[in-house]
Amino acid sequence: MKFWRKKKEDDLDRELRSHLDLEAEAYREAGLLPLEARYAAQRALGNTTVIKEQTRDMWGFMLVEQFWQDLKYAVRGLRRTPGFAAVALLSLALGIGATTALFSVVYGVLIAPYPYAKPDEIWAPAVVGPKEAAENWHSYPRPEFIEIQKLPAFSDVMATTLDSVLLTGDRAPESFGGVFLSGNAFHFMGVKPQIGRTIQPFDIGPGGEPAAVVVLSYRLWQRLFDGRESALGEKLVLNNVPHTIIGVMPPRFGWYTGDGFWLPMPMDLKQEGYLNVIMRLAPGVTTQIGEQQLQALNRELARVTPQNFPKGDFRTVFLNYMDITVASGEMNSSLRLLLAAVGFLLLIACVNVANLQLARTTTRAREIALRLSVGANRPRLVRQLLTESVLLSVLGGGIGVLLAIGLTKAIAALIPSFYVPNEARITVNGWVLLFSFAVSVLTGVLFGLVPALQCSQPNLVDSLKEGGRGASGSIRGQKTRRTLVVTEVALAVILLAASSLTVRNFQSLLKKDPGFHPERTLMVNVQLSPKNYSTIEQRNIFSQNLLDRVKNLPGVQAATIGNGGMPFGGPRSAFSIEGLPPSQSQRLTVGLISADYPQTLGIRLQRGRQLTDQDVTRGDRYALINETAAKLWPAGQDPVGKHVNVELLAKPGSRQVLVPAGSSADVTIVGVLGDTRNAGLRDATTPAVFVPYTLVAPPARVLAVRTAGEPMAMLNTLRGVVQEMDREVPLGRPITVEEVLGFQTVQPRFNMALFGAFAALGLALAAAGIYSVVSYDVTQRFHEIGVRLALGASRGDVLGMVLRMAGTVVGIGLAIGVAGSIMLVRIVQFQVFEGTGFDPLSVVVVIVVLSSVALLASSVPAWRAAKLDPLTALRHD
Amino acid sequence: MSTNEMPRDSSDRIDLLQGTLDMLILRTLLFGPAHGHQIAKHIQRTTVDVLQVEHGSLYPALHRLERKGLVAAKWESAAKDQKREFKYYRLTPAGKKRLAADESKWKRMSEAIGRILWPVR
Repeated sequence: MKFWRKKKEDDLDRELRSHLDLEAEAYREAGLLPLEARYAAQRALGNTTVIKEQTRDMWGFMLVEQFWQDLKYAVRGLRRTPGFAAVALLSLALGIGATTALFSVVYGVLIAPYPYAKPDEIWAPAVVGPKEAAENWHSYPRPEFIEIQKLPAFSDVMATTLDSVLLTGDRAPESFGGVFLSGNAFHFMGVKPQIGRTIQPFDIGPGGEPAAVVVLSYRLWQRLFDGRESALGEKLVLNNVPHTIIGVMPPRFGWYTGDGFWLPMPMDLKQEGYLNVIMRLAPGVTTQIGEQQLQALNRELARVTPQNFPKGDFRTVFLNYMDITVASGEMNSSLRLLLAAVGFLLLIACVNVANLQLARTTTRAREIALRLSVGANRPRLVRQLLTESVLLSVLGGGIGVLLAIGLTKAIAALIPSFYVPNEARITVNGWVLLFSFAVSVLTGVLFGLVPALQCSQPNLVDSLKEGGRGASGSIRGQKTRRTLVVTEVALAVILLAASSLTVRNFQSLLKKDPGFHPERTLMVNVQLSPKNYSTIEQRNIFSQNLLDRVKNLPGVQAATIGNGGMPFGGPRSAFSIEGLPPSQSQRLTVGLISADYPQTLGIRLQRGRQLTDQDVTRGDRYALINETAAKLWPAGQDPVGKHVNVELLAKPGSRQVLVPAGSSADVTIVGVLGDTRNAGLRDATTPAVFVPYTLVAPPARVLAVRTAGEPMAMLNTLRGVVQEMDREVPLGRPITVEEVLGFQTVQPRFNMALFGAFAALGLALAAAGIYSVVSYDVTQRFHEIGVRLALGASRGDVLGMVLRMAGTVVGIGLAIGVAGSIMLVRIVQFQVFEGTGFDPLSVVVVIVVLSSVALLASSVPAWRAAKLDPLTALRHD
Repeated sequence: MSTNEMPRDSSDRIDLLQGTLDMLILRTLLFGPAHGHQIAKHIQRTTVDVLQVEHGSLYPALHRLERKGLVAAKWESAAKDQKREFKYYRLTPAGKKRLAADESKWKRMSEAIGRILWPVR
């Protein structure tokens, strides 16, 4: 191309020269002197350089050619001003790097969390009662699932259910959350196994009996078999039945479990339990049609099993599977908000660089004016200046991506894993890079456009005369620069304000009294085999023996065994209070406890008495309630001594959970416990009732132990005790109450950390902006300052003058920022902040922090101005 | 902007539209190959100086036409003076076709404009 280009260039030269020759000849023949003839010919032709430029444009490849030219010119320009380049690149790298890192999290967690085929075309059914607002995923018993499969609107319907599965045999006993899948499930999800095969429809027999096969997760395969392929065909004893390993899924497959296994679902239609059903629509079927068909079916089903559906006129809606991931609640809103924050940060970086660019182009005003006056055209000039800014931003983006790789790892380490689908992968991948590149180019255009347009349209005469110095500085340029700093400060204030909210939110969580004492308390799950312990007596005797042994261990201060209320959650039950109409909507949270429950968790008794060991062993129908539950009785009535009917005690709702034969649901209240935050730190306390654990016996219990020393040190002793009692009983993963409490604050902590980091970056960028503008301003006014000093102004006057200028700009920015953030918090209902409004203190803190940073940033150039030697300043050019 | 705009010298000269200049060039070449200077002079002569062709603007137009394949260019020695070479432009078949199309379009348009401006005639 180079050679061809040169040839064309010579060609054009020669052509124009011959034209000039001929024209000059004609003038000479008309009687002009040779030199005059030459000039006349040149005048007739016009500006040769411009003609050449216009002609070159016609050659087509010139755009590319010019782009190269501009690029080379830009690189040279940047190397000439390394200080400018470094500051601008750093600003951009920080802005783009932070944006890229956060986008990679958003991409991994929200946009593409799943490895499944077309995850956004998977629908989950929800049934909404007339009074309900929430659209909750509706689960169906087996026969209803089969009916749904028959609907023509769906091309594929699959079901999942969870149940605890005991691994025994020659391995250490272990309890798993087993995932049971309908035969079509793997086809539905569209993921191929790493090795072996997946569960197929033929793995579930015609009578619904499942084959004894199991598909392992990648992690379990690594853990149990060190990733050996010979694992295929080996057997695992699950719930006392040897299961053949038929396949291993790839690492990213994590349907309901990331480290467990998948089993074919028993389809015996008489079996209890509810299935999570999801479906894909048949080609050409809209969600409306699907919803209509399922609604019609639901109506029919509701006639047969009314207890499975809300009373009254319910409706059926579809939830998109992408909207009901574990990330869809708090994590989703946090990430969106953080993305907005990082957008602000990027904007600050843009404004910063625009400012620098503007200052730089202003000093280049003379060069640009010169180029315009010799006939450079304006679009070309703007294009060249834009090329410079885009080069800058793409380079900055490149460094930013390097930063982002580290930053992404940091965020991924910090992100609370239970709010992230286990299939999600947070990495800087191709899409993220593409995003980053697009953001870089856009950024370059954004911060380059204003300076480019402004300086390509200068007052030529003034610029040339002033020689680019500008004793008064270009007023318009100064105004633009100050407006930019105001913007920057306002954006930084909003970021700071938002981060102060996250701090307050986090602190208020920490300050909340949970109502119990979390320290030094260890909890472990004890899982009994439902087959080996098939009666309630067997289960209770085991629990009781275990508790007796544990209580007598040295270092144990108190111990309790049971389910629920440790410290959160528990089964919920319908109830009715003696003498009052049964409540329709309210439920009681049920805690199955042993006598020392209040001591172990550190909950105070408010009234009445506790349950005694005797009450618990005998299974007496006594109960404790919490204060919130006590308020269910009419005011002035003491619930102690009253009766309450707790439905769960008679109908536990699952075949796995045993109650004594002919059990009544009636219990007598003997005491009232203090309220605890039993539904989580941020939620209101739910009314709770505590009964002896011997009244209801699920196969798994939680053992909680308050220790004198380090709680985790007790684990091996506990394991030994259990092993001594039954070699096949596994202990679940141990966890302390403090850890459980910690989960509650992880998301707010994450928000606080990221917001804090972004706000700090924003503040630093804004400070750099203030510094650069003030010092540029001072340099521009050297002459003026020199005159003032020479005429007798004191150094204090000069210092004050510069600081006043900076103060005005920062003050306006502060005012706009504070007003803006108050409005933003009002307008946008941030779930993240949950009602934490601004308090005067945090506004004051924000103002103080920003002002002091601004003062620091502007005092350096102000000091330099004040120390000026008037003589040097006057001579300054 | 006013400072860098030179005042045009005469108001009864018409600035040429790009398409019109292309058509004039093609029309000129209908009489045979010509180099840039000849084309400029011819246009000036035949339009009696009313259409001011800044010679400079001719060359971008010529190069554009060449790129579009409507004209072909070649350095050849002049008929009168064998020692001097000029870059001669000639019409290509595509150029001839385009000229015909442009001319008929132009004719229809000027007729239409004529009817609007002088309806009686």
